[in-house]
Amino acid sequence: MDRPDRRRFLRGVGVSLALPMLESWAPRSASAAGAERAPLERLVCIGTYLGFHQPDFFPAQTGPEYVCSPVLKPIESYREELTVYSGLDHRGRNGHLGWKAWMSGSASGSVSMDQLVAAKVGEHTRFDSLQVTCGNPPDPARLSFTKEGVGLPMIGRPSVLYRTLFRSAGDSARIDYLLATNRSVLDGVTEEAKALERSLSASDRAKLGEYFASVRDVEKSLEKQRIWLDRPAPKVEYPLPEFDPVAPDLALECESIMYDLMALALTTDSTRVLTFLVPGWSQVFTIGGRKLSAGYHGLSHHGNDPVRIADYNLVGIEHVKRFGLFLDKLRAAKDSGGRPLLDSTAVVFGSGMGNANTHDNSNLPTVLVGGGFRHGWHRRIERNGPSPRLLGDLYLTLMQRFGIDIDEFAGAKHNLNEDLV
Amino acid sequence: MARIAILIVAAALLPPVAAAGDEMPAVARKFLAANCLACHTGDHAQANIRLDRGEIDWATQESITKWNRVYDALEREAMPPQDAPRPSSADREDMVDWLYRELMRNSDVGGTVPRRLNRQEYENTVRSLFGMPGFELPDAFPADDSKHGFDNVGEGLVLSPPLMAQYVALATELADEILPPDTGPALVQSKVYQLGTGGLAVEGGGPVEGGSFRLVSSRNMASAAAWPARFEAPQSGVYRITIDAAPFQTDRMFYDRRASAFRLSIYARPKTDQVYAPFGEIRKLAEFEVDPDRIAPQALTAEIELVQGEIFGIRWEDGPAHSDPPSREYSRAFLADRLTRDRLYYAAMLKFQGGQRGTTQSQVYEATRSLMESGELDLNDPRLDKLPEVWGGGLSNGPHNWIKAFVHEELLRFGPAVDITDLEIKGPLRLIEDDALRERKARTRQFLGNRPPGSTDRDHAEAVLRRFLGRAFRRPASEAQLRDYTDLVLWHLEENSDARPEDGLHLAVRRALVSPNFLYRGLRPGPLDAYDLASRLSYFLTSSPPDGELAARASAGSLTDANVLAEETERLMGDERSGSFVSSFTGQWLSTRWLRGIMPDPRLLQFGDPDRVAMIDETELFFAEIMRENLPLQLFIDPGFSYRNARLNKIYGGDLQGNHMRRVAFERGGRFGGVLGLASVMMATANGVDTHPVLRGVWVLENVFGDPAPEPPPDVPAIAPDTSGTTSIRDQLAAHRADQTCARCHNRIDPLGMVLENYDPVGRWRDHYPVYTKPPDGAEALKQEYYSTVGKGAVAGPAVDSVGILADGTRLQDAAALKRYVLEHIDMFSQCLTEKLLVYATGRPLSFGDRRVADRIVASVARKGNGFRDLIIAIVQSESFATR
Repeated sequence: MDRPDRRRFLRGVGVSLALPMLESWAPRSASAAGAERAPLERLVCIGTYLGFHQPDFFPAQTGPEYVCSPVLKPIESYREELTVYSGLDHRGRNGHLGWKAWMSGSASGSVSMDQLVAAKVGEHTRFDSLQVTCGNPPDPARLSFTKEGVGLPMIGRPSVLYRTLFRSAGDSARIDYLLATNRSVLDGVTEEAKALERSLSASDRAKLGEYFASVRDVEKSLEKQRIWLDRPAPKVEYPLPEFDPVAPDLALECESIMYDLMALALTTDSTRVLTFLVPGWSQVFTIGGRKLSAGYHGLSHHGNDPVRIADYNLVGIEHVKRFGLFLDKLRAAKDSGGRPLLDSTAVVFGSGMGNANTHDNSNLPTVLVGGGFRHGWHRRIERNGPSPRLLGDLYLTLMQRFGIDIDEFAGAKHNLNEDLV
Repeated sequence: MARIAILIVAAALLPPVAAAGDEMPAVARKFLAANCLACHTGDHAQANIRLDRGEIDWATQESITKWNRVYDALEREAMPPQDAPRPSSADREDMVDWLYRELMRNSDVGGTVPRRLNRQEYENTVRSLFGMPGFELPDAFPADDSKHGFDNVGEGLVLSPPLMAQYVALATELADEILPPDTGPALVQSKVYQLGTGGLAVEGGGPVEGGSFRLVSSRNMASAAAWPARFEAPQSGVYRITIDAAPFQTDRMFYDRRASAFRLSIYARPKTDQVYAPFGEIRKLAEFEVDPDRIAPQALTAEIELVQGEIFGIRWEDGPAHSDPPSREYSRAFLADRLTRDRLYYAAMLKFQGGQRGTTQSQVYEATRSLMESGELDLNDPRLDKLPEVWGGGLSNGPHNWIKAFVHEELLRFGPAVDITDLEIKGPLRLIEDDALRERKARTRQFLGNRPPGSTDRDHAEAVLRRFLGRAFRRPASEAQLRDYTDLVLWHLEENSDARPEDGLHLAVRRALVSPNFLYRGLRPGPLDAYDLASRLSYFLTSSPPDGELAARASAGSLTDANVLAEETERLMGDERSGSFVSSFTGQWLSTRWLRGIMPDPRLLQFGDPDRVAMIDETELFFAEIMRENLPLQLFIDPGFSYRNARLNKIYGGDLQGNHMRRVAFERGGRFGGVLGLASVMMATANGVDTHPVLRGVWVLENVFGDPAPEPPPDVPAIAPDTSGTTSIRDQLAAHRADQTCARCHNRIDPLGMVLENYDPVGRWRDHYPVYTKPPDGAEALKQEYYSTVGKGAVAGPAVDSVGILADGTRLQDAAALKRYVLEHIDMFSQCLTEKLLVYATGRPLSFGDRRVADRIVASVARKGNGFRDLIIAIVQSESFATR
């Protein structure tokens, strides 16, 4: 059965009464409605590990007339190109470990939204997706998960991200050698496995089947890497500092450089899917010449003390400022169709941590920028209605706009098209 | 397969005969019809156990598992339930005998599928194979699934594409480590880094005008040292640093003017580390002396060795605050001294009480100072005659921290302190061979061995590979394998004219590390041979591959001798690598691995990683002693001893000092100690916020009674405990049990959980549930040191009611009664532990035959006095252990 039709049918029997009639809810494959709206091309997801102070992040008013909140002030010039969501989350478990669920809905590891998107659009670029952070992230923090539920490693050093994107010829020779020889390695071990297989029982053979399948999959990805290796890496002029500011105290500085490199990764079309975990430890930041009253992690456990909350917000504002500069670059750059890159790029900014003070992972700070959606308001999600929307519904809207055939994710079964499309 | 929809209307009907599977004999069908089918019939059969098919399809695992459970229920007389008519014992015996024969015939000993090395085993195997004790897998390396309670069971050890990609990447990294590619001599790229102009900012210390900074003395890098923020050693090498330093002493110092030299030291640490490492734990590079009487800055120069990626910190080492304290007591003595010598300050401090949460160091100083100058303090306050009773009391608000904040600020303002007015780093002047490089060279030599003069590349490669593959595959390489790998090396040398033999071997190492022969164990058909046995034994007790001695005994063929096997088992239990077994087995059997994911409610207590570590250490040390001393299994339940440190005072009470774990003995029969009284277990079976008798009950059934509760049926809402005190958990559970479907299992689960209700979510004993509210005037608050200062406070709520009535009618008053009950049924516990160990050792769910092997082990070990070491030896000598 054709999927969009099925969805239309479901709406017909279930939820359409509650929703305004919208022509364009259907994904682009639905011939009549979606044609005027270009599909999404790029996805960027950015999460701060220690969250934000919710009352200073979410605007007090809802709807289009909202007054910009103190923390979001640095991106106020984007208000017509963004939507602030409050009340969204996965209804999952709490704690720092719950953070992992931000993009996947599952704290125990299941595929994250960005990786589903990468599977759809990744073939066009050198890297299916890239995962970025600053320095060594705190242990349980992960943002992207493969379909096997494996948390993907992140690049934490600017120089490494730079070399990955714009490697030198010398690097290429070694990579080329390793890729070529890896093939003979994998051929050899496949023969070994076949030799073993002959003498095994049926159940043991099934177990070894996992081995063969995994080897084949790795071979495929090596093949892609080889193809891209033959194409020259893009050339950019970027004044990469001589040191990597990876010490926790310099995390804000590292964050700025990582944003610059992420923008370059998108404008050179090296990848179309990026995730960025903005970490937080106990480092004591100095902001505006003043040393803050406690370490960043300590500030996030502010105990409702106004002094600490103010300082916690100062760090939050620094994050948003840097995010704003990143958006400026996406707005200025043009995609292949001559439109601002931001219009075909969906940017999710927020955190998997709701209230860091109590380790509560509900009501997650969430902002959606760009992507050509209907923006310009603060939408508060009612959590107790008959079919409350979840964070997964926002992800469903995004994934469907990438042309992914999906109508259920992380426990969510709707989407947020009624707001956004 | 025939799928006939059968509707049974009346329970007394004989089950119809169906077409597929083995038909049951009449005796079995009659028994089921008379005793079981009233409930276990049709799609809605009780506990989802349907027995009305009249046939058994022994080919499916589901069916075997189901009839296994039927056997257990009948054999233990747990079914039919107490309130139903009971079969005669002759009928029961006939049925049990018949099932026994059928199950033995269809589910005999064995059935392990090939086991991939799990995360821990892989890490240990690499360490051992290449002599790299420091090797650690990257954080991103995938974790393993747990099946049947453990993460080393073949079935759960799935190999996925991302994991394979990691194996391939790691294989290259490891080969690079052992046989580094030839990159030519490293180039020295020397530079000058300068404070201010050169972008060499400094973190830490107190900033002073004009880019200088000031050092006072204290305990760790964060509060007492300064370090360059925009520098890390680009290469391992020698760097020249020049420091301009001057003493800072004013007329307003509280401490004596310093006449002797100020000692400055330079320390090194990796850049990405946190800054709270005590100085004792990081590397000292150089020392200087600053003349106390010269006002002008003095230039101090030293050449220091830094490893790539390191930075250095500068510290004033012998100031008045305190230098490297061996423990907390040292700094306490300093602080006590200050309070004794400065009564006015003590009075001010008592009045100020540290201020609000989040008060800064300089606010503490200003406020205390102005109180001291107000002239309003009562210096005759009797509290000033003795030191504070509680020094800690919260992370930021204890007297310990108030004094530290004040003194630190006082030293910064008035001295004595040291000013650093300039700093320059030049280098590397030359490169050094750091430890890592030296070790790498030694490993390469070791790996390659001595190449006999005149030997061909083929001979050389073959000799190296014979040694290496034998260890990597944990059995001698076959001639075919050897030829195959040697050919690969030679092929590489032919293809690449400038390649060295090492480069060819590099490729062979990469292949071996992703070979199924390396990644899996148990990949051969037939009975376990000596090499398989050596691997199984070694991974069981050390999570590592066989060491030289075990491998030698395997190759000599003596390992199949029961006495030799026992000797090796004894040896490995005494080996320090058995720590892997202790932590891995207890982490899973006793669920202490869950602790990492539990963050206790800060209102309950301030809880940090060191507390978690102490709880886990306690568990492991306790387990290790029982193993080391061959103590009877009864001591798992009521040991009368444990291991603790000062951290655990807040859980168990007591006044231990210091953070080293030590053995403590106490009376048996009490609240604490043993798997039913360990804080780690109690915390792991709660959620950090409140307790939940169902969770603990399920845990006890599974891990102590060996009688796991089935999964709850779908669509049943969870019971959410109400801690506000309005509905007691007992009432909620009783309501839940009113439903017959729920009652079947919850009659077994709930009492075991209720009995443990005195243990709060972090394992402390409580007589009342806490209610978090501001204590009304006059009411007694729960002790501050236990219930933290976060939030409003806590008062005693409803009393804990810990009575539990077991399904067999036994009334248990509290946790101590539960322990007595288990001791009276020690064979039940022994069976449970034996089965857990067997699953862990063999990597498979136990077949019916395996469980009968367990019965015999339990009986034989009981005859010998139930020693735990004896149990492990009996397991290793058993048929189950020796069977694939």
